[in-house]
Amino acid sequence: MLTFILRRLLITIPMLVAISFLVYLGLELTPGDAVSHMINPEVANSISPEQLAEMREALGLNKSFFERFSIWLFNVVQGNFGHSLSGGVAISTIVLDRLPATLELSIFALLFSTVIGCSLGVISALKRGSPTDSALTVIGMLGVSIPEFFFGLVAILIFALNLGWLPAGGRLLPGYDSFFDRLPHIILPGIVLSLMMTAGVMRYSRSAMLDSLSREFIRTARSKGLPEWRINLIHGFRVALTPVVVLIGFRLPTLIGGSVVIESVFQWPGVGSELIDAVRGSDYPLVMMIALLSVFAVLLASLIVDILTALIDPRVRLG
Amino acid sequence: MSKSSLDRKFDRIRALEEAGKLKPSSGSRALRKMMSNRLAMVGVIIFLIILLSAIFAPLLTAHDPMKVDLRSMLQTPSMDHIFGTDRTGRDVFARVLYGGRVSILVGLGSALIAAFIGVGIGCYTGYKGGLVDTIALRISEIFMSFPQIILVLLLVSITGQSLMNLIVIFVFSGWGGMYRLSRARMLSLREEEYVQALQSFGVSTFRICYKHVLPNALGPIMVNITLTTAMFILLEAGLSFLGLGVPLSIPTWGNILNVAQDLRVLQNNWWLWLPVGAVISLFVLSVNFIGDGLRDSTDPTMQG
Repeated sequence: MLTFILRRLLITIPMLVAISFLVYLGLELTPGDAVSHMINPEVANSISPEQLAEMREALGLNKSFFERFSIWLFNVVQGNFGHSLSGGVAISTIVLDRLPATLELSIFALLFSTVIGCSLGVISALKRGSPTDSALTVIGMLGVSIPEFFFGLVAILIFALNLGWLPAGGRLLPGYDSFFDRLPHIILPGIVLSLMMTAGVMRYSRSAMLDSLSREFIRTARSKGLPEWRINLIHGFRVALTPVVVLIGFRLPTLIGGSVVIESVFQWPGVGSELIDAVRGSDYPLVMMIALLSVFAVLLASLIVDILTALIDPRVRLG
Repeated sequence: MSKSSLDRKFDRIRALEEAGKLKPSSGSRALRKMMSNRLAMVGVIIFLIILLSAIFAPLLTAHDPMKVDLRSMLQTPSMDHIFGTDRTGRDVFARVLYGGRVSILVGLGSALIAAFIGVGIGCYTGYKGGLVDTIALRISEIFMSFPQIILVLLLVSITGQSLMNLIVIFVFSGWGGMYRLSRARMLSLREEEYVQALQSFGVSTFRICYKHVLPNALGPIMVNITLTTAMFILLEAGLSFLGLGVPLSIPTWGNILNVAQDLRVLQNNWWLWLPVGAVISLFVLSVNFIGDGLRDSTDPTMQG
């Protein structure tokens, strides 16, 4: 098991370095360097080229490309991500500030889509060929076809603007921070974000369940005279669950991607809406670092999924 | 002993065959299966209606999608303006039709180019194996470890917004999936006996790859092209909705929806965003139906 994890890490780390290199290359290619961002445009004319060269020297900007890259990488590893162009706030501060909101939303969506998606998928598989099954299949298709933000707009119109049951956006009212004050804010963005994923989980768990129900051990269980619900849930569903768990792990990029748009629609103060603002404002360092961190999250998730599947299924770790 | 119903059915078919009344089945088996799939045919019909009305937009509407008419601002739908007019008096129906041209071009065009590049590389490196294969695989892994929309946003912020840039960016973010798929198919197909036969005849690698093996991998590739098209159309709509996709001066489905970011428009001027959203959803739904139908008709393991 340990060798498996080590081998897996040996693949992941060079990937991370290669991606950091590309991100750094992108940073270097974007217009302007650290010095040009530090100088107030109004006094730019009064600074002599010698002074500029001196400032570049002091910041180490005239070192070779690879030297600069290794210094930058060393800083990133230590958690020093550099500074945002607007306001000069440390990027790590911005991300740490925004991350809890994004995690809150993602975890809500992950839980919601897993529970609802799995249950609907299992119902669909058990009632295969019935009107319920066809209806759920079509609903699943609709779920992956309607743009998430459009669904979000309709939800805001109905539940926030017309019925007034839930707030249209934002995360917290100032001064209220108990769980029940937060809950109404997360319901709409959370459900909308999980829509697409629910549809995916449902379609996948339906076919996993059908596959599991056609196996020999189901017949064995039935011949033992077990009640039908026990056969389906305890014997059938447990085997169907493994591929579904893997799918959920690999769906993380979709979740991160989806949250970027949904956070903007609902003005949810997370990393995603920060990223959109940064792209709008051409805040290159911030865009690059958020992208790098998202890659990090994705690679970490796939590492965890791989280790989990290896734990469950010995064929994986030996293969 | 009475014959089972299945036996009787076979007897009937055999009788027909002996009488010479059974028509030889025409066309490919996959095509016939596709035609008998009801949802897939519904998909094809919706797809064609939307595609043709975008192509023949000038015949369907007399209005110019760009023409500002300040005397008819924010009109509700009427006979003259089927989907009403927007804040600067432009006809929304005309904008949806002409916008469809750009949105479909971006979605379908990027998916086809991505498929061309991804399949081109995947087929060759998958067949050859060795160092080229490892290098291509590592490069695709780097692209694919970015969540797609984040890679797209990153590239948009570097290159700036334009229609051409967006297509190139979509291709960059989408070729990896096609590459992976065609490579995986190639790895199993290259072990087939007919490939060994071709090799022993001294047929060149290029000919074996693209002329003899590739046609056998086309089924899943076509399914993937449809799914990628659907994904790109949703992505373009999302990006343009946020004002980061195609420049706002060009009408696209996403750009028309852009006004709905304003909650007042959302509540009071439903005709500005509801019909477009419905058209996008219908179009993507039809593409997904076609993709599902293609998968059922080309992949014998996906029955039921």
